[in-house]
Amino acid sequence: MKNGVRAIFLVMCGLVMAACLVYADLKKGYYSPAELGSLRQAAPIELLPDSNYQVSAYPVTAVDLAPGDGLQDIQIYCNTCHSPGYITMQPPLSAATWEAEVNKMNKTFGAAIPEENTQKIILYLQAHYTAETRKQ
Amino acid sequence: MNATERGLSRRGLLKILGVASSGIAASRWLGPDVTMAQEPAPGKAIETFTGPGANLHWNSVGPYVTEPQKVPLLLLTDRPVQLETPRHYFRTAFTPNEAFYVRWHLEGIPNSVDLKNWKLQIEGNVSKTLALNLPELMHKFKPVSLAAVNQCSGNSRSRLQPRVPGAQWGNGAMGNAMWTGVRLRELLDMAGVKSGSLLVQFQGLETGPGPEGLGSNLFLKSLELGNPVLDECIVAYLMNGEPLPMLNGFPVRLVVPGYFATYWTKCLTWIRVLNAPDENFWMKTGYRVPDTRRGNTTPEDVKAGKVKTVPIERLPVRSFLISPDGSSRIPAGMNVTLRGIAFSGFGRVIRVEVSDDGGKSWMAAKLGEDLGAYSFRTWEASWTAKSPGRYSLAVRATDEKNNTQPDEPVWNPGGYLWNRIELQKIVVGNAS
Repeated sequence: MKNGVRAIFLVMCGLVMAACLVYADLKKGYYSPAELGSLRQAAPIELLPDSNYQVSAYPVTAVDLAPGDGLQDIQIYCNTCHSPGYITMQPPLSAATWEAEVNKMNKTFGAAIPEENTQKIILYLQAHYTAETRKQ
Repeated sequence: MNATERGLSRRGLLKILGVASSGIAASRWLGPDVTMAQEPAPGKAIETFTGPGANLHWNSVGPYVTEPQKVPLLLLTDRPVQLETPRHYFRTAFTPNEAFYVRWHLEGIPNSVDLKNWKLQIEGNVSKTLALNLPELMHKFKPVSLAAVNQCSGNSRSRLQPRVPGAQWGNGAMGNAMWTGVRLRELLDMAGVKSGSLLVQFQGLETGPGPEGLGSNLFLKSLELGNPVLDECIVAYLMNGEPLPMLNGFPVRLVVPGYFATYWTKCLTWIRVLNAPDENFWMKTGYRVPDTRRGNTTPEDVKAGKVKTVPIERLPVRSFLISPDGSSRIPAGMNVTLRGIAFSGFGRVIRVEVSDDGGKSWMAAKLGEDLGAYSFRTWEASWTAKSPGRYSLAVRATDEKNNTQPDEPVWNPGGYLWNRIELQKIVVGNAS
């Protein structure tokens, strides 16, 4: 009987403690896959026991460029050699640095972008990707 | 009658009490506390660019992507592919192949190589031109293995102030692997380098759409024939005991121990002995550093045309704290283990020190296994923060040539050679 009384007493104590003290908290959150940055797994590719060692095509990802005058020139000319991700990856660069970068593409790397389009590309980069102008 | 028989033992009761008061059960009784993701702590994405200040994250800030033969890595650019290795993969001395960073220069990256046709060619100013297929490389020569760090010249470029254009790497454009292959010297000897030769040039399968003769068409690197590093170079067909991932240079890549990765030509296919200077962009203009201590200069001196440059070469000494990484708090008084890696291209790391006051005082860390002069060397140190607060952990390494990492920045227009002491903020919480 003594044990029974003690048990009831302890249960009472437990309930009081549960009401007064929270030792830990549990929160459940619903997130969209995008919010979690979730990535789906790539399917394995079929391999043949021949001499040609191949992997699947390297994925090309969408790059969110600022809308504006000159965007089309970027997409046509810059895209020839590299992804426009080269632009969005950069920290905000000065207007002079952007001009130098575009000129380097023409003079050093032989991009041969027509003069008019070169100017449009420079103005676009300066209008959206300097410390003063960058928004995204 | 004892308590056990009554089905309500003391232990059982305590268990119930424990659960009841744990709050987990309490909130279950009250119905689940479901939070819509208004403040999604784990899910909130970081900005995908940094600047004009320095990038303060350990890694670069791009999204995770999964490329062939790779686990999700941090994307810098997709065409050509540039991927950075997340910090936690540096807990071990060898970086897993599937997590090894990727850096190409031109968009034409092979994603298939037919070994029926592929041959490594040794040509140019040699007595006998060679064309060796993979079985010949594997079986005609004695295989040699060497652990060596491959680090991009621009690793940590996003730390520079003022920022410079280029791939905005955090610290993860590096990796260490056990490379196995053929000694470059054996191949050169077999072909017979003619007298009057100056350089060995390396070309892989990478191509770009630019005009012939320009850096946008081919990526070419060369090393002087008198450079003693040539005796240490390996043409590697194994990386950590496995074939190289395509993005890391299958079927073979050049390993230049102690040197920056720019020389480690991927998908190496042409070894060319030259008897004239290499005037190509990637030697004459690209990957050059000021001929000054630590490659330092200023934007003003560059503008004034005062900077004499030389091709980049060896890796300056560096060290990193890998864990804890600052993403969670540590209770005051808890003894934790600080772990990381260190390396140098000038010789083996002989000392690593850690500081918990931002570099004012230092204590020695314990070095891990010595895997060779050019390998990552792991280190660990035991650390207890006695009181809660914000701590600034720092780590610095010294190599056998007595080069120690300084707490001073580096600046040059290419964004190369960064090796400043790294700091990690750690928050220590109340333990009771």
